[in-house]
Amino acid sequence: MSAQPFRLASGGLIDRGHQLEFSFDGTSYRGYAGDTLASALLANGVRLVGRSFKYHRPRGILSAGPEEPNALVELRSGARREPNSRATVVELFAGLAASSQNRWPSLAFDLLSLNGLVSPALVAGFYYKTFMWPASFWEKLYEPLIRRAAGLGRAAGAEDPDHYEKAFAFCDVLVIGAGPAGLSAALAAGRSGARVILCDEDFRLGGRLLAERREIGGRPGSEWLAATLAELASLPEVRIMPRTTVFGLYDHGVYGAVERVADHLPEPPAHQPRQRGWRIHARRAILAAGALERPIVFAGNDLPGVMLAGAVRSYVNRHGVLPGRESVLFTAGDDGWRTARDIAAAGGRVAAIVDSRPDDPARKALADKIGARLFAGGAVLRARGGRQLRAVTIRDASGAVTELACDLLAVSNGWNPTLHLTSHQNGKPAWNEELHCFVPAALPAGLAVAGSAAGRFTLAQALEDGARLGREATAEAGLAAKPAEPTLTTDPETNGLSPVWRVSGGKGKAFVDYQNDVTDKDVELAAREGFRPVEHLKRYTTLGMATDQGKTSNLAGLAIMAEQTGRTIPQTGTTTFRPPYTPVAIGALAGHHRGKDFRPVRLAPTHEWSKEQGAVFVEAGPWLRAQYYPKPGETDWLTTVNREVRAVRSSVGLCDVSTLGKIDIQGADAAEFLERVYSNGWKALPVGKARYGLMLREDGFVMDDGTTSRLGEQHFLMTTTTANAGKVMQHLEFCHQVLWPELDLRMVSVSEQWAQAAIAGPKARETLRGVVDPEHDLSDAAFPYLAARAVTVGGGIPARLFRISFSGELAYELAVPADHGDAMMRGLMQAGAAFGITPYGTEALGVLRIEKGHVAGNELNGQTTARDLGLGRMMSSKKDFIGRLMAGRAALLDQDRPALVGFKPAEPGQRLRAGAHFIGIGRSAEMANDEGYMTSVAYSPHLNHWIGLGLIRGGAARIGERVRAYDPVRNGDVVVEICSPVFVDPEGARLHG
Amino acid sequence: MAETATSPTAIAWVPRGAWSGSTRAGSFGAEGVSGIIATLLGGFGLATLIAGTGGASSLSQAVERRLGIVLPATPRIVRGQTHDAIWSGPEQWLLRAASRDGWSALLGELAAHAAVSEQSDARAALRLSGSQVRKVLAKGVMLDLHPAAFAVGDAALTSIAHVGVQLWRLPDGPDGPVFEILVARSMAGSFWSWFSASAAEFGCTVTAG
Repeated sequence: MSAQPFRLASGGLIDRGHQLEFSFDGTSYRGYAGDTLASALLANGVRLVGRSFKYHRPRGILSAGPEEPNALVELRSGARREPNSRATVVELFAGLAASSQNRWPSLAFDLLSLNGLVSPALVAGFYYKTFMWPASFWEKLYEPLIRRAAGLGRAAGAEDPDHYEKAFAFCDVLVIGAGPAGLSAALAAGRSGARVILCDEDFRLGGRLLAERREIGGRPGSEWLAATLAELASLPEVRIMPRTTVFGLYDHGVYGAVERVADHLPEPPAHQPRQRGWRIHARRAILAAGALERPIVFAGNDLPGVMLAGAVRSYVNRHGVLPGRESVLFTAGDDGWRTARDIAAAGGRVAAIVDSRPDDPARKALADKIGARLFAGGAVLRARGGRQLRAVTIRDASGAVTELACDLLAVSNGWNPTLHLTSHQNGKPAWNEELHCFVPAALPAGLAVAGSAAGRFTLAQALEDGARLGREATAEAGLAAKPAEPTLTTDPETNGLSPVWRVSGGKGKAFVDYQNDVTDKDVELAAREGFRPVEHLKRYTTLGMATDQGKTSNLAGLAIMAEQTGRTIPQTGTTTFRPPYTPVAIGALAGHHRGKDFRPVRLAPTHEWSKEQGAVFVEAGPWLRAQYYPKPGETDWLTTVNREVRAVRSSVGLCDVSTLGKIDIQGADAAEFLERVYSNGWKALPVGKARYGLMLREDGFVMDDGTTSRLGEQHFLMTTTTANAGKVMQHLEFCHQVLWPELDLRMVSVSEQWAQAAIAGPKARETLRGVVDPEHDLSDAAFPYLAARAVTVGGGIPARLFRISFSGELAYELAVPADHGDAMMRGLMQAGAAFGITPYGTEALGVLRIEKGHVAGNELNGQTTARDLGLGRMMSSKKDFIGRLMAGRAALLDQDRPALVGFKPAEPGQRLRAGAHFIGIGRSAEMANDEGYMTSVAYSPHLNHWIGLGLIRGGAARIGERVRAYDPVRNGDVVVEICSPVFVDPEGARLHG
Repeated sequence: MAETATSPTAIAWVPRGAWSGSTRAGSFGAEGVSGIIATLLGGFGLATLIAGTGGASSLSQAVERRLGIVLPATPRIVRGQTHDAIWSGPEQWLLRAASRDGWSALLGELAAHAAVSEQSDARAALRLSGSQVRKVLAKGVMLDLHPAAFAVGDAALTSIAHVGVQLWRLPDGPDGPVFEILVARSMAGSFWSWFSASAAEFGCTVTAG
């Protein structure tokens, strides 16, 4: 076990009493609570943490935040393995197992680093140039090869074992970022009683205050921070959400956020989600997300040991880690000097300070105080080393070159405001010439920007912006803001800056985009080859792609392109951003809705009974319906279905039909309404009777069918198919509310209220007799075909009985209130036991209706007219109805349109397949010869052969003719005979039994 | 075929409530705490009332005369001694009775003033209380249920986990806000799957009301 050789003896916001053991690439290390994985690795002297995407170059830790392009690791193992985790934001926990990625066979010795030697072949656009020919090689050879060589971590192959959640929150003021600006804003809004949500992606609140040695109001910044957090915690309407990244800004003040509930634990505790995706509705929001520091492009700038200067301060001040023994600072502005000062204050050595700006006596004095050699007007030409930094080559103002040994190079080139969210609705940032960065310009409605995120980089500005915008947001949200508090003073700071976009002249690759291995030469190449607009530059070179989306690289790429094309940065383009700000796990977006919870499942009130009967269920839209009920010993579904069908035709069967849509329609104009939405007539339907109805769409095609019963003079009950229940309800509401609001009509779905069962077969009446209360006469005379009336069961339970039939047998549908659905099925089973009553499912239902030539979903497919289906006589000529006019279009009246008929195999033993296309015998199988297709097939146990329904040109006129039923998908080619679609009981005698 | 008079079979008409098959009384989730109290409701009467063209005032008067409650014109619940009326859409209400005694007679009377549709078995109903009730609802309800935004008596038609629901707020109990939720009966199981996953971290006691 190592002893954390780079840990400072004291200081930092870590709990030295709480050691945490963790491992990296199998080696055990120790860190402290409060460490990130990156700070703990640095404390242990681990600097090489990964290999680069394309050239497999050694890479270390560049940053201390979410922008990290290099230090991407895999966390955990097995099903919880998580690739591309940024070590700089991974909170250390005991037992954390991390491993490097994109290296083979090991991190220290990576064979694929030889890619660097053939790098001329791997420049920008190499995919497009190299692998173009032959095209067939792409999928089989090039792509797999490239994918293996390039790329980042490996996804876990197994299903994620953790639970994720979604949640919704509402507030007056959303504050994004808990640095000095965000904390001031939250405090100002919170003190006024506003409902405030304060989110920060970090596990510790404070933002840059945690990383800097600053004073507020004459006291250490940490004291102000502690007091502020304590006050915020005491405000009941302020919700503080650490470990929560606001990743997207959407319409109407909606923000997306992900809360990492248990990412900092080995596994989520019992009953806790791993992550929670939040949708936050905010009246006003304040973006106080701070800024991201920019690297400088020079040769070898990607070596482990080259680090952003602000990140070095984070490690020194927040984590008590000095990332190097011998440091050099390369800075383009005042900010970098703070790093040299803090390293020195922590007892570290600063060998040299290279400042790109001309000599300045004050800076000279400061360098002397720090004990560093000053190279004013100088530049770092090159960083050198094998797997980590060993030395830098410095060119001074006179052009002379000096080589200095060092193991840490802190780079400072100014900061870019973290303005990503301001850009999520296409807002373009504006270039600020004095600040040398893009700043937010056109802001989305309801959003204000505070502090560094607005380009107001000093601590005093952050505190002032936060307090002011917090009060303004409170007032805009409609609350009375408290009077302003006096402005807080801070220790003085300067922010002089003269950015250096790149240093030319060094030997070796100079990286613009670390994560995508894009060099300054690649940008030059793109410029030469004409890919000059920023969007082309991005796509040609991959600059700014992948998990970091160019947080550290976009501006340098833009600057080099500007230089190449003789334009300014704003002339060259702007950086734009889309959500998410940082990667979001799919699980956090899906929440609860995965696996069986992907969408709600609807269960009939008879479901438990069907389960007890051994039903196999099938999805029918959102419903689970019993498909068939296998008995012990039945080995295939067809045996079961044949038994069920025979039972219905020979005795009695029982089938749940609760899933049909049921719409209660009442009112003086209810009959008139039906007259208009159905193609057939309704006004003459007497009370107590049901009728089959056909509904067309406005375009004249069939929409749905079902029976509607007249329960009273002004009261109808419409049934729809299971699949179309919602659509029909919507259609009816549209018709009533938009087309005919003058009709006195009221509708409501009662689908959930009633459990309904079909009782079909010659013994149906006798079975019912044992369930329906005896005072109700069920005789054929008293309750004839299509009777529909209220009855009672069980001594007074209200029920409805309909004598309707889908099977062609004597059949009824009995409906009872859903609470009694289970008992109804049990009662019917009991009453029909003497007749061998047999439960049947949707498969047998299908066979029974195909035997009778009744159309169902396969035929009502949105492409068929009533005439196509042989239902032309149901289109009344005595009234207007929806779809009437359009159904009369010439093309829909074409005699040549395929029409419904039955089919049987010429050789009885042959199987038919739905989907087979009809072709004349002797004709070739091509589109020109296509005459129609088979819509439904079934094995008829009544006829002992397969039967089918289908649509064929010429329809019934061709009965007796033979055609090919050609099914190339399943290699079927069967000669079939066209016949009547009614295979069983064409006279309908059974119906009236 | 001649009518065959089979003697009525002795069928046990045991009702099966909307929650059976999905859940039952007990507790689940975090042990030793009950941040959520879920009361499964049953035995109530429920019907949709829709006023006819120009008939809202006649219906309202009939309901007030008969039950002493005034039908709300906005998304609210109005509670009476034995009956509640919950706004469900323009000139549309749910009428809920604490018990089904005299229920069909009442519906028969009201049918003179409105389209009345029996819905007593169509919904699974749940009362939620407990110190963490707003936290669990925040995982599914896309509405602001803060006391300042959703007052006692407010009602809403919305969805939870893709399941359509109707919910309202009752007077506060000892642990703070109390809500009732109606769920389409067929989706009670899917609703409960969401609810049990979401409430588990707070500990939940389920009782039959």
